[in-house]
Amino acid sequence: MSSYVEVRNLTKKYGELIAVDNLNFEVEKNEIFGLLGPNGAGKSTTLSVLTTLSDLNKGDIEVCGYDIRKDKMKIKQLIGMVPQDIAVYEQLSALENVRFFASLYGLKGKRLTSAAKEALEFVGLADRQSMKPKQMSGGMRRRLNIACGIAHDPGLIVMDEPTVGVDAQSREHILNSICTLRDRGATVIYTSHYMNEVEEICDRIAIIDKGQMIACGTKAELVSLVTDVQSIYIETKLSSDTLELEIRKKLKVMPNVKAVAIEGNIIRIDLLIEQNSITRIIEQFMTFGLPIMNIKSEVPNLDTMFLTLTGHELR
Amino acid sequence: MFNIIIKESKEFLREKTYLFFFILFPILLVFLLGNLLNESDIAESTIGTVRIDYQINTEDAYQTAAIGSFLDTLKKEKGIVLKETKDLEQSKRSAGEDKIAAAVSFSGYPLQIQVFEGTDRVKNRTVEAILRGFIQNNRAATAVMKSAPDQLTGLKVEKADYAVQNKLKIHRSMIDYYAISMVVMIAFFSTIVGANAFMGERQNKTINRLIIAPQNRVSMFLQKICGMVPQSLLQIGIIMVVSVVVFHANYGANWESNLYLFLLFFVITFCMVSIGAVVGLVIKMNPFIVLMPVIWIMMFCGGSYSKEIDIKGISDKMPNYLFQKAAFDVAIFGNYNFANRIILACVLITIAALMVGAFLFYRKEEER
Repeated sequence: MSSYVEVRNLTKKYGELIAVDNLNFEVEKNEIFGLLGPNGAGKSTTLSVLTTLSDLNKGDIEVCGYDIRKDKMKIKQLIGMVPQDIAVYEQLSALENVRFFASLYGLKGKRLTSAAKEALEFVGLADRQSMKPKQMSGGMRRRLNIACGIAHDPGLIVMDEPTVGVDAQSREHILNSICTLRDRGATVIYTSHYMNEVEEICDRIAIIDKGQMIACGTKAELVSLVTDVQSIYIETKLSSDTLELEIRKKLKVMPNVKAVAIEGNIIRIDLLIEQNSITRIIEQFMTFGLPIMNIKSEVPNLDTMFLTLTGHELR
Repeated sequence: MFNIIIKESKEFLREKTYLFFFILFPILLVFLLGNLLNESDIAESTIGTVRIDYQINTEDAYQTAAIGSFLDTLKKEKGIVLKETKDLEQSKRSAGEDKIAAAVSFSGYPLQIQVFEGTDRVKNRTVEAILRGFIQNNRAATAVMKSAPDQLTGLKVEKADYAVQNKLKIHRSMIDYYAISMVVMIAFFSTIVGANAFMGERQNKTINRLIIAPQNRVSMFLQKICGMVPQSLLQIGIIMVVSVVVFHANYGANWESNLYLFLLFFVITFCMVSIGAVVGLVIKMNPFIVLMPVIWIMMFCGGSYSKEIDIKGISDKMPNYLFQKAAFDVAIFGNYNFANRIILACVLITIAALMVGAFLFYRKEEER
């Protein structure tokens, strides 16, 4: 086995609901692997099974050559989890929180204290180690959440949307920290529904929707899947929901149109690059009787790719 | 092992709500209820004179002598009026009508003692204590009679254990009642602490971090429960010490019984913590909202807030009533029998709860 993490035919059900359906992917050592998908796509469930939080129904997972069914304890020792929700004790200081969680991985005495302090320093909270989480800002709490998951120096760090609800400065700090972790030798699995974050830090990206793998590869590989598609943005004045629905319906059935998304007064249309395709769109648009305030065209990006492959937006 | 215990203790000591509800609040209640009701209700004066009719129907000389000696001792006690009856049926009726505390019949060989009690619980308990003393001494007398008859003449019937508090000059008051009932109340409140130990982890989402840690789940569960031990000891210790030192409440008659009471309260508290832990693993709601009304109703019906509350067929079935009874038996009558049974029952329930809790925690999957 060459990959650090191998997921084969992973299926996870909650009652009748299939949360993850026959999922396959591999994560190489020292890479940041992004799992991208809308809410409910199955990202968190995949991580939950991978981190041994819940059992899989079907399939196989290997981490560093250990089988998740046979060597659960060894896999647990290798993993550092940064959950989506901030999971810290409000009554304990930052240092006490990190120390406690690191101690669960067998660290003791001076080694435990130095590991906890290093983790706090790493996330930029060295000068706040006595502070309790409730005294911290949202961004600082997020960083503490990360410190609690990495203090024991895990080989595989699993991060489930670690930047939700943080300010730009903290987000930048967190993203830089993740790249540093990779550079220090850790393997990172990162989920997000912020496209730009994934584009910025992930070496490879897997697109998941409705529990299934849609595509997997580097950013360039994924975008190449939709190079024949361009995005047209038309800014107009939409007056009602009914009109919005009608526009969406009429545009979607036009030849070459792959997807339509409306956000506020901006309509985004992904269509196959062909002669006169934009002209036809504008002609159709005129029939709605709406003014065109602005129009622009963009080359494909991950957003375009996601919309094209899944038929709906990421969020 | 100790990191979880230390963590639990730190969380408890730093949580102001806990400190108020589990330490300060019961101490305040001991003071307020004890002082407000002290003037209107002095424990000793409520017992009043205990009138007992008795009948002796045994031809055994040793038994008759032992009974006679015992009754002579009792007759010297102020507040106890003994009268030999020839009509036991009439005396039984008098007991039923509360004209006397009880009618007692000593008969046969081996000696059989039949007690026909009235309806006054306090007087009934006094009569039981008096007779318990006699039964214990009578057994001793019988044993001596069988093994060394020549020593029988030197055997003195000791005072019944009811007299211990008089001997030690303890003036019982309502503050003593609340000192005990408030510790029992705090023991029940500990179910909330136990439930919160796991519910808190769920609410914080830290339970997922615990589940993925490379630790044995059963061991982790037990460590969390053991983490409650220091705070349970602290709670009970503080309430007892403050009640005695600041409010001059009395628990046991001596150090031995006080230590025993401390043990009794600790075992009850730990049992409640274990039950609470299971509740915390099962329910999804805030345990405070679920458990608090149940505990308050139980406390009210079981007479923790006032000894005047006595709902027939309900009060004496309440667990807190039984715990209080066990503690009062030790504190007032120096009788450990019921308390021993309570300790045994609590230990068994604790073991069962810990097994169920450990199983539930072992099977626990991700909390979302």
